Amino acid sequence: MSYAEAVADGIWAANAVRVGYIPSVTVAPVINSLVATDGGADGVSPRVTPLSREEEAIGVMGAVAFTGRLGAVVMQDNGFGNALTALTTFALSYHLPLLIFANTRGSLGEYNSMIHSISGPMPGVLRAFGLPVIELDRRSSAADWHEAVRESGVHAVMTYRPVVVLGSFWNTDGKVA
Amino acid sequence: MKRLEALRVLADLTSGHPVVVTCAATSRELAAVKDSDNHLYLLDAMGLAGSVATGLALSVPPNAPKVVCIEGDGSLLMNPNVLPTGGYLAPPNLLLVLLDNGVYGSTGALPTYSARVNLARLAEAAAWITRSTDSVEGLRAAFEELCGIDGPAFLYARIEEGNAHDVAKLLIDPVTITTRFSRWLRQEHASEVGA
Repeated sequence: MSYAEAVADGIWAANAVRVGYIPSVTVAPVINSLVATDGGADGVSPRVTPLSREEEAIGVMGAVAFTGRLGAVVMQDNGFGNALTALTTFALSYHLPLLIFANTRGSLGEYNSMIHSISGPMPGVLRAFGLPVIELDRRSSAADWHEAVRESGVHAVMTYRPVVVLGSFWNTDGKVA
Repeated sequence: MKRLEALRVLADLTSGHPVVVTCAATSRELAAVKDSDNHLYLLDAMGLAGSVATGLALSVPPNAPKVVCIEGDGSLLMNPNVLPTGGYLAPPNLLLVLLDNGVYGSTGALPTYSARVNLARLAEAAAWITRSTDSVEGLRAAFEELCGIDGPAFLYARIEEGNAHDVAKLLIDPVTITTRFSRWLRQEHASEVGA
């Protein structure tokens, strides 16, 4: 199982019923795996939905929780800058479980000279807002990523709030950018 | 048509529908007209009502009553992605009612773009089924018509500028809103929402 497949399978294993994504080259294999395992193709399947911006992803996927089920978002960490108001004044304030997996940028393996300026501080920014952040990287196996993603979804449901999993694909079988 | 008049009509028409309401004056005026468990008031998160309504519409079966979003022009313009996303995903049971007063009514009545940008045509270009009105009678008729049509529907309603006087601020804990709205969904549509 690749790291991307581990993330995708972990999202389904967490009992997410719908996934929205904002594309990045790093999470494209995750999205492709989600779509393939859901019987779709070309970035779309019955339960996997492309979305245009992280802010709306929090709204669209956060709303799933009103039906007693779990939604999930797959995105890149710099997109949290677009989503903070929705995360705080909607998902956190209304106590809505939501599983968010985001790949990280701006560290080892990065080519972009500026993206670290938003991606580097992001774990601390998210924690400052009260969001649980689980960080994964090369030091654990794909199987561990699978379990961490799955359990993060369980934790989101149990604690009635979004849980963020940040994954650095550097020196795994994935790519950073 | 004043916003309060429009909301009286909508409150009457939506008693069996999940209703997502944009923040500030619109939410508090709807609550003043009729406070109900099927109302999901967004107390902040300006611009998010359409996205939340889209997520709900995708999460309940197409045969459930349409998810109704009551949105303002300023709020829609803060997150206009609602239109292409709704048109692309095309939930058949989504009805967005846009109450356009041409201003940011809760923040000093400064002008929005709507005097120069036709929001109904924007919605139409994004593949929504649209109707427009500027009267109470027209609002009721268009709402009832659009409820019978599959596809994301957009009801553009021109309203007068100005907020209702002596309407109390909505000081509900948002967690309370989640609890009562979710309970209403389970009770009314138990077979459809995985209760």
